[in-house]
Amino acid sequence: MALTDLLKTEHVLLDIEAVSKEACIDQLTSAMEQTGVVHDADAYKRAVLKREEEGTTGIGFGVAIPHGKSSGVSQPGLAFARVTSDVDWESLDGTPVRHVFLIAVPEEQAGNEHLQILSQLSRKLMHEDFREKLQSATTIEELIGALE
Amino acid sequence: MEKKILAVTACPTGIAHTYMAAEAIEKAAGEKGVDIKVETRGSVGVENELTETEIRDAHAIILAADTDAGESRFAGKAVVYASVGEAIKGAADLIDQALAKKATSAEDYVEQVQQAKKERSAQRKGPYKHLMNGVSAMIPLVVAGGIAIALSFMFGINAAEEEGSLAAALMQIGGSSAFALMVPILSGFIAYSIADKPGLAPGLVGGMLASSGGSGFLGGIAAGFLAGYVAKFFKDKIQLPKNLEGLKPILIIPVLATLVTGLLMIYVIGTPIESIMTGLENWLKGLNSGNAIFLGLILGAMMAFDMGGPVNKAAYAFATGLLASDLYAPMAAVMAAGMTPPLGLWLATLIRKNKFTKEERDAGKAAGVLGISFITEGAIPFAAADPFRVIPSLMVGSAVTGALSMLFGAGLKAPHGGVFVLAIPNAVTNLLPYALAILVGTIVTAIMVVSLKKTVESKVNTNSSNSNDVAS
Repeated sequence: MALTDLLKTEHVLLDIEAVSKEACIDQLTSAMEQTGVVHDADAYKRAVLKREEEGTTGIGFGVAIPHGKSSGVSQPGLAFARVTSDVDWESLDGTPVRHVFLIAVPEEQAGNEHLQILSQLSRKLMHEDFREKLQSATTIEELIGALE
Repeated sequence: MEKKILAVTACPTGIAHTYMAAEAIEKAAGEKGVDIKVETRGSVGVENELTETEIRDAHAIILAADTDAGESRFAGKAVVYASVGEAIKGAADLIDQALAKKATSAEDYVEQVQQAKKERSAQRKGPYKHLMNGVSAMIPLVVAGGIAIALSFMFGINAAEEEGSLAAALMQIGGSSAFALMVPILSGFIAYSIADKPGLAPGLVGGMLASSGGSGFLGGIAAGFLAGYVAKFFKDKIQLPKNLEGLKPILIIPVLATLVTGLLMIYVIGTPIESIMTGLENWLKGLNSGNAIFLGLILGAMMAFDMGGPVNKAAYAFATGLLASDLYAPMAAVMAAGMTPPLGLWLATLIRKNKFTKEERDAGKAAGVLGISFITEGAIPFAAADPFRVIPSLMVGSAVTGALSMLFGAGLKAPHGGVFVLAIPNAVTNLLPYALAILVGTIVTAIMVVSLKKTVESKVNTNSSNSNDVAS
């Protein structure tokens, strides 16, 4: 399994407008619903929002990584959005969010390969040059390339 | 030495933050040139797990966790607590905090003693480990029972004979209950250590038979090993079809192992051990003063030889086991001899300050407290720093104390407690001579130590390594 198996081209939303955290999660969820990653969007969103209640996923540096494990998810998936205006995510460092990775994990998942991929992504996000690439990518392909 | 820092990161979902925090800590440590290892406890499971050795050698540990992270592993270590979020945001700051922590184990003397004890129990192997498991399960019973008996004697040596009195109740608690359980528990937990749970029932029963059959604690030890290995044999060798497998631990092993152990105890090994035990008891009861001094010398030297190690524990187990046979003199000798090593060192640090480093002089005070509490291990840090001068000194002092205690006919009904049991009336027979024996041993130890040890100034080079030993 490669990162691109999780992050399908249809899951990448570059320069969208989103007024709120919830609106942003909505748009990303629909993208994953269309590719069949998520079959019960409501159940999945509940899991994601519940996780947000436990503590913000706004990790700072303008990046948020909301995620949820739910039976509404058919297969592991990852979606990315770059938003054009600041979204308040109650981030750890107080900065508004411009980049959002939404992670979907099925309730019952055989194997943990996808989790390892996500952990690699999480580690990459801690490096500034990687975050700059997220900002500077002009096409979906270029963005996916940065994640490879 | 380079300070090695460890860290653990964990969050409730364990999908992202665990790893981001780990990366942040690794990155910050890399920038500072600090040696680091980060364990992640995420949904993938525990990765890059910290080993016991790493934890022991670590300067400090950063615990960046919003959920359980196996914290009990770090008992006694310097720990920096943080949330996962704090680690992601301010990893560099956490590293600085960790570096600034004092490595507690090096500073705290009592901690060191605990550490030495812990390392010892980790090193125990095979039959010795099983025996020590039994002894350590038995000791609380001996202590509780012994003190209850001693309290009963407070009302007069025969006060317990009056039915319905508090003295009688205390005697019932200590003598006929706690002490009656001693040998079965010793035996049961030896067997438990060998064969796990299936060993417990045959071990307890074997111990009970040893106790009632008159083979005492020696019989109990034999029963424990017998029951343990018998149960382990059945556990390993009996193969049953899958649907009957469930009967094995609850029916087959307990019944077979208990019967085999019990029958062997009654018909085969019980009687010879009983005669050994009776012989030992008679010998101890009829000791002439020459033999008494000899036994005291041996027991005393054993107590000081390895301060809580196998030899010391053998002497201690021997004496506590004899309490069950109403023999109190060896117990007195053993406790006195176990108190003098730390007490003597404490006295030595007071009378010859120039023979000790500042750290050792401070440690001496703690050793004094451990000494009056009969914690022989209190002498270990001194002995570890300079074994060839310190250990023989301690052995001489303890041997003298043990011999004097036996010579004076001192008896002790409580197996622990140090000076604190001396305050209980009738717990000690011949109290004043007994206290004198401890005092003399302490002085002898101190004189031996200060005359053998070199002064600190004359060995500046080796001194620094000595204090390191104490601190390590």
